[in-house]
Amino acid sequence: MMQLEDIPVVGPLLNAGADDRVFDALLVLGPVIIIAIALLGRNTASVALAVAYTAGFTVYIGYKAIRRTPERKT
Amino acid sequence: MPDRLGTIARDLGRMLEALAGLIFISILIPLVWREFWVVPAMAIAGIVPLLIGLSLNRSFRHAADPGRLHGMMIAASGWFLVAIFGSVPFLLISWTAQLDPAILDVPARFTASGTRTFSTLAAFQNPLNGFFESMSGFTGTGLTMTDNEAALPHTLQWWRSFIEWVGGVGVIVLTTAILARPGSGSLTLYESEARSEKIHPSIVSTVRTIWWIFLLFTFFSILLLWIAGMPMWDAINHAMTGLATGGFSITDNSIGTYNSVAIDFALIPVMILGSIAFPIHYLVLQGDLRNFYSDLQTRWVFIFFGIGTLVLTAVLFDQGFYHTETITVAGIALQGQAATLFQTFRYSLFQFVSAASCTGFQTALSLGPGWTAPAQLTVAFGMVVGAAAGSTVGGIKLIRLLTLGKGILFRIRGVFYPSDAVRTFSLDGRSLSDEEAAQEFEEAAIITFLWLIFLALAAFVFMLALPLGPGPDAFTVENVLFEVASAQGNVGLSSGITGPGMPTVTKVMFLFNMWIGRLEIIPVLVLLRGVFAALEVYE
Repeated sequence: MMQLEDIPVVGPLLNAGADDRVFDALLVLGPVIIIAIALLGRNTASVALAVAYTAGFTVYIGYKAIRRTPERKT
Repeated sequence: MPDRLGTIARDLGRMLEALAGLIFISILIPLVWREFWVVPAMAIAGIVPLLIGLSLNRSFRHAADPGRLHGMMIAASGWFLVAIFGSVPFLLISWTAQLDPAILDVPARFTASGTRTFSTLAAFQNPLNGFFESMSGFTGTGLTMTDNEAALPHTLQWWRSFIEWVGGVGVIVLTTAILARPGSGSLTLYESEARSEKIHPSIVSTVRTIWWIFLLFTFFSILLLWIAGMPMWDAINHAMTGLATGGFSITDNSIGTYNSVAIDFALIPVMILGSIAFPIHYLVLQGDLRNFYSDLQTRWVFIFFGIGTLVLTAVLFDQGFYHTETITVAGIALQGQAATLFQTFRYSLFQFVSAASCTGFQTALSLGPGWTAPAQLTVAFGMVVGAAAGSTVGGIKLIRLLTLGKGILFRIRGVFYPSDAVRTFSLDGRSLSDEEAAQEFEEAAIITFLWLIFLALAAFVFMLALPLGPGPDAFTVENVLFEVASAQGNVGLSSGITGPGMPTVTKVMFLFNMWIGRLEIIPVLVLLRGVFAALEVYE
């Protein structure tokens, strides 16, 4: 089965990336969302897209921090 | 040719190849904005470094791998060389507009002499102005030869932002891989035992880590600024230059153009991201948020920014400079003293963070002649000190001042102990032996001392070259010190001295200040010593 790493451009990008699925996804989605917003202009959907990206990034770091805390205690 | 020079020449060749790649990628911008008339200029600007780079790389491909001494020389000469070739797009695009070949159909606003748009672009017909802009970009300074950034072609707006962004990545690699050492770092790297140490593996892995963090932060910053209300093109450019703490803007009045509370506050985290050491960012992104307060430098970034903002707010509030009757923030109407206090805090926070992070963005009514001397001094102090080493900021860096401060206290306390007492100096959780501690103090003191020496030298040159005293065209000594500190600290805030009309000798001096400021002085001195030794100047 074809893996994400097999796709041209995306594969090398992921291999040089964060070694973290979510961060890798954010790296790939970032330019796509920016171009989409540039084409769509400012409307509810594009604002929601931008908020979802920025919120997703910050919430994921918080999630990693919470997951890490019990690991440190054990 | 000695093998050492071959190593340096080969790596410089690789850097020029990379620069050519950046220029070729940037050709997408004129295609998107339909500025087809700049494409030939950009193509030629890319071909020149590509050919030179290929020729150097191939000629010396068998040269030995670089050690740390080579790394410093490559960094110093590479920054200079890249700034020279990075100026070619400015030169060629401005001359394309000047020559106005019929086949390229240059828009009239760039060719009609006498307009501000024409004079803005025409300033780059002087190669020195283009070199200044390029060096300012690659060093993340942000001082500009541009009269009106908004009048530039989109391609040059992008090129200015792009070179600051790339310079930001470059300086993180420089300070975390080439000059890497807790504290200040650079001096011990060319001591004999370090000379044979190879740097390539660490640089490759460091670059890989830095690039994805920097790219992720860039996307985040672009979308944050866009949500705050900035148009997308503006958000892309300001996110890149804000994160790189460079400070180039694409608007005539920097961030003040928008006069938006939301944009002002959205840029604060962007500038702070650029002010924190990237190894700390890496740990934070792994979920270890403790580093925000457990890491000495990062803790002090927040303390320093907080204290500076409060002091500036107090000074400006006392002056009543931002007196406001009423303002609505997030649906809440503030009136009277509350409105004035909020406005004062808003401008103080932005301007102090912009100065101490060495970004150089300016907001409306900030840093004008109405500010009192204590207010301007507070901002100047912020930009001389800077923030964390290992980030994109300039200045002396907090860690050096903390090392010196703790070191002085350690020495004074030592007087009260018996001479045979065993004492341990602790810095950022590391216990240092007497020898290690002495080395840390020495490094921090040497860099701070050299920083001040070159600051004084530049101030002296400026005082000789510029009209001083009262009068509409004259500058004060405070103006000169502010501007010189801004250039050497790679900040970019201006008291009005920098511009295409400044004397040539002052442009050359600033080129040197920006260069040594970015490379933290020592690598430039190592390079100059190497050049002088090779030329047998003082043998």
